[in-house]
Amino acid sequence: MLPFHYTRAGDIAEALRILSRDEGATLIAGGTDLVTLMRDGIRAASHLVDVNGLGLDEIHWLPEGGVRIGALCRNAVDDARLRREYPVLAEALRSGASPQIRNRASVGGNLLQQTRCTYFRLPEFACNRRTPGAGCSAIEGDSHLQAIFGASPQCTAVHPSDFSVALQALDAVVLTEGTRGRRRIPVDDFFRLPGTTPHLTTELRRDELVVGVELPGGPLAARSHYVKFRERASYAFALVSAAVAVEVRGGTVRSARVALGGVAAKPWRSPAAEEALIGRPLDEEAAAAAGDAAARGARPQRHNGYKVELVRRVVRQALSELG
Amino acid sequence: MTVAIGEPVRRVEARDKVTGGARYTEDVRAADTAYAALVGSAISAGRVRSIDARQAERAPGVLTVITHTNRPDFAAQPPTPYTAEGRMPLADDRIHYAGQYIAVVVAETQEQADHAATLVQADYQRTSPVPTLDAALPAAYIPRQNGLVRFPSEYRRGHAETALAASPVRLEQEYRTATLSHAPMEPSSTLAYWEGDRLTIYDSSQAVHTHRALVATAFGLPEDRVRMISSFVGGGFGNKSFAWPHVFIAPMAARVVRRPVRVTISRKQVFTGTGHMAATVQAVRLGADREGRLRALIHDSTNQTSFIDDRQEGAAGTTPYMYAIPDVYARMRVAKVSTGTGGAMRTPGDSAGAFALESALDELAYKIGMDPVELRRRNHADTDPVSGRPWSGKRLLACYEQAAERFGWDRRKAEPGSMRDGDDLVGYGMAGGQRMEHQSRARATVHLSDEGTAVIRSSTVEIGGGGLTTLSQVAAEGLGLPVGAVTFEHGDTDLPASSPTFGSLTSGSAGSAVRLAAQDALRAAIELAVGDRRSPLHGADPDDVVAHESGLRLRDRPDRAESYRELLRRNRVNSLRGDGDFQPAGETAGYAMATFGAHFTEVRINRHLPRVRVVRHVAAFSIGRVLNARTARNQAQGGIIMRLGAALMESQRPDPVSGRFISPALTDYHVPVNADIGEVDVLFVGEPDTNANPLGARGLGEISAVGICASVANAVYHATGRRVRSLPITPDKLL
Ligand SMILES: Cc1cc2nc3c(=O)[nH]c(=O)nc-3n(C[C@H](O)[C@H](O)[C@H](O)COP(=O)(O)OP(=O)(O)OC[C@H]3O[C@@H](n4cnc5c(N)ncnc54)[C@H](O)[C@@H]3O)c2cc1C
Repeated sequence: MLPFHYTRAGDIAEALRILSRDEGATLIAGGTDLVTLMRDGIRAASHLVDVNGLGLDEIHWLPEGGVRIGALCRNAVDDARLRREYPVLAEALRSGASPQIRNRASVGGNLLQQTRCTYFRLPEFACNRRTPGAGCSAIEGDSHLQAIFGASPQCTAVHPSDFSVALQALDAVVLTEGTRGRRRIPVDDFFRLPGTTPHLTTELRRDELVVGVELPGGPLAARSHYVKFRERASYAFALVSAAVAVEVRGGTVRSARVALGGVAAKPWRSPAAEEALIGRPLDEEAAAAAGDAAARGARPQRHNGYKVELVRRVVRQALSELG
Repeated sequence: MTVAIGEPVRRVEARDKVTGGARYTEDVRAADTAYAALVGSAISAGRVRSIDARQAERAPGVLTVITHTNRPDFAAQPPTPYTAEGRMPLADDRIHYAGQYIAVVVAETQEQADHAATLVQADYQRTSPVPTLDAALPAAYIPRQNGLVRFPSEYRRGHAETALAASPVRLEQEYRTATLSHAPMEPSSTLAYWEGDRLTIYDSSQAVHTHRALVATAFGLPEDRVRMISSFVGGGFGNKSFAWPHVFIAPMAARVVRRPVRVTISRKQVFTGTGHMAATVQAVRLGADREGRLRALIHDSTNQTSFIDDRQEGAAGTTPYMYAIPDVYARMRVAKVSTGTGGAMRTPGDSAGAFALESALDELAYKIGMDPVELRRRNHADTDPVSGRPWSGKRLLACYEQAAERFGWDRRKAEPGSMRDGDDLVGYGMAGGQRMEHQSRARATVHLSDEGTAVIRSSTVEIGGGGLTTLSQVAAEGLGLPVGAVTFEHGDTDLPASSPTFGSLTSGSAGSAVRLAAQDALRAAIELAVGDRRSPLHGADPDDVVAHESGLRLRDRPDRAESYRELLRRNRVNSLRGDGDFQPAGETAGYAMATFGAHFTEVRINRHLPRVRVVRHVAAFSIGRVLNARTARNQAQGGIIMRLGAALMESQRPDPVSGRFISPALTDYHVPVNADIGEVDVLFVGEPDTNANPLGARGLGEISAVGICASVANAVYHATGRRVRSLPITPDKLL
């Protein structure tokens, strides 16, 4: 680990000032991801700006419907109303990491956590994310855990977050604040696919920080669910996960959201699966059709063909458990 | 008489461990200690062209950077396999595996050393690595040095090929086991310092006397100039039974900087620097008649090894001893891969081998439509098929019977996929296990004091198995003392040399030494009493005197008794010393010795999302006398759970291009978490087996981890109709 400066920012303005002044400055919240990366020589920061003193740790219910969750709320957030009105979100958070890590990890940090791709996390391998243009060892390497959607010849890594998959299914908006003002970025736009620039993983600018996420109100969220499938019962990242939200009126599906985790460099929205549900009763057949639709267009690598079948099954399972 | 042996006594060190009082190697402090960080190779095959350490040397706090170009010479290469690698650290510019140490940075603090280590620049000349066992297989060969040489690499009785061809029922399959990491909680640590030409070395070692000899050889010292201490080990499972390179690096660096040097390997280096269980490919061919009598068996295993060593993973070693089969051929080969040398991991050879053999038996049972328990019964080896000798205390049939009954095996419907519960496919599976018992010389002394207490002195190491407790019970029973009156000095080469704490040697060998020492101390006390005119036992026949309630008494006259305290004080004797020197009887014993087990597993698998859940596991073991019902149960559950990990999730996968392990972190190398573990029920069918040794106990640590993977795989087949022959049984194999 290289030496660095450390500042505990007193307010947002101070944090932004350091970010814009110092090219090598990085925010730190819970540190559950960043510290590991620094220790392993994957990331270096000349200046750590601690955001834990900024507040931003409240859940704020909006009068016109919807809720705003502060960037420094912890992943262990346990709010009865949130559980009731946004079950998929509460379930996704609870499925992540371990209780100890959830107590420490922040909502903002969760969005910005780095991929678990082993070729990214071991400095001995070439990685375009780490060093643009260096090449990607994963292409010829072990692709067991790599992406089946949206990958590029430069990068096949997946986004590890569960929380973000739920956000994707809820049409959430990421709220940012920067030296050039505030922005509201829909979660689908916030995350980027690798393309030819895999080192750029989000739309967040250097001199910007996440202040929270906002979830719209409305009927979709109340009937939502998260299914995470992994290699052991707990404390593992998803092989494949699905966040689903469905609005049923008069016996048929009016609107639906299906988002997948563990399959792409961003939480992967599946419009085809959503389409497959609209206008029909939410039954086993519909669930199966949505599962099939979700898997369509997948492009597995050498070792991860199993993920395609898993997508089918996880989506079907999430919808059946909802039905 | 005080009955201490077998009682579920709580661990004597439990309180210290949970209150932070127990001192592990990392907790030891020495004044003026410097800290080392080890730089690992970024490539897996080739040479170091040059190392630029200038920046590192200039970094704050750095004392020195040692590489192959400036290291002091070692006096000699100590022998493998207890020296884990047959190449001394920093020997030359060659790179044999990813992570191999190429430089040692020594600094004032660990943080400074770690930082400077990142500044060491190496320039490599790469050659093409052999990344995987599959790539190496065509060049597999019978090892020239096969490791522990407990089993020959080739074994033959009869003519297996011919008998196989003549068998009415034949089966031929290939089974694979993955590379596994020990993944103990405690990364290995060594603290070394010199006082003139005397070396003191605190090391998280499972065997201080064994390792001291190696260190002495490496530095050209007589053994008595080296003292090695290992108080408590925070989990080893075999990765601390060999001396890995850091053990030699610490004293070398201490010599260079003329200060104590501490080396604690990083979490990542635990995965590359202290060995692993090597992956195997095993071909099994079975011939039988239609009544399920086995006629021929061929077990041919190949494991990966490094370019440094021929280290055999003895997967077919126990095979010839297991069943009454007339014609058997077993072979073990190695294949060189650009990876580190494998180590001993619970349970060397047998865990991997039993997966193949016991899976194949299950396949055969289905083929001939026979219950798998019955198939094993029919082929039970009543005597050792290799030596022809009678077994010492083999109660394997009782294991099958009692475990099957406890499990409810009779509820099993044989047809695969026939037992369901809602969306769950339910599967019952079983397997047997066997581990050849071996013994080692072990010494101990027991000092009986005029306080009526006793001290055991013996270099055995507490690795978490409960040895300090069981050995204290042995001494307590021998002297008629409460267990609380016995204390233990352990884990230090200044003490009498015990057996190493691996290879399941503690109960049988270390335990026998303590028993002999306690008997010797008792004899001394009796002698003192019968010769003492003031003793109520004066003039008694020593053979009629027994230990009783912290003292002695006549066997048939409870009124003629006195306490040790009175006896010793009156005679102004502070303490009586008893010596125990257990020498294994070996070949002369006339018995074949092994430990045995039977496993029964219930799995449940959601038919949509097929992750195997082991909801119930029942095991029975034949290990002779159980020294402590609590620690034994705990030990056995640990062995079973460890192997459930191997069955279902553990795999240290090599990168298919470089061979570098791609899961060198606990985040990626999955071991079971609490939520993965169902009910694990353990039975012991044994009774004291005094043919084995004076104590009547055989080892448990290793047999507890043999047969589980096959039992799970057999249950998975029963649940799903799908035979998984390659471990671990991850969800992708069941879709
Ligand atoms: C063993 C382990 C298991 C895990 N398992 C799971 C799992 O199953 N599912 C899952 O979803 N996650 C899992 N995680 C990841 C965990 O959720 C993240 O590490 C955590 O959410 C990161 O939050 P943090 O506050 O600690 O972020 P930090 O480590 O402090 O920061 C992470 C990144 O976010 C940036 N950042 C932090 N706050 C802000 C902000 N307000 N604005 C802009 N940038 C910011 C930092 O600069 C840094 O780049 C696991 C982590 C570990 C270590």
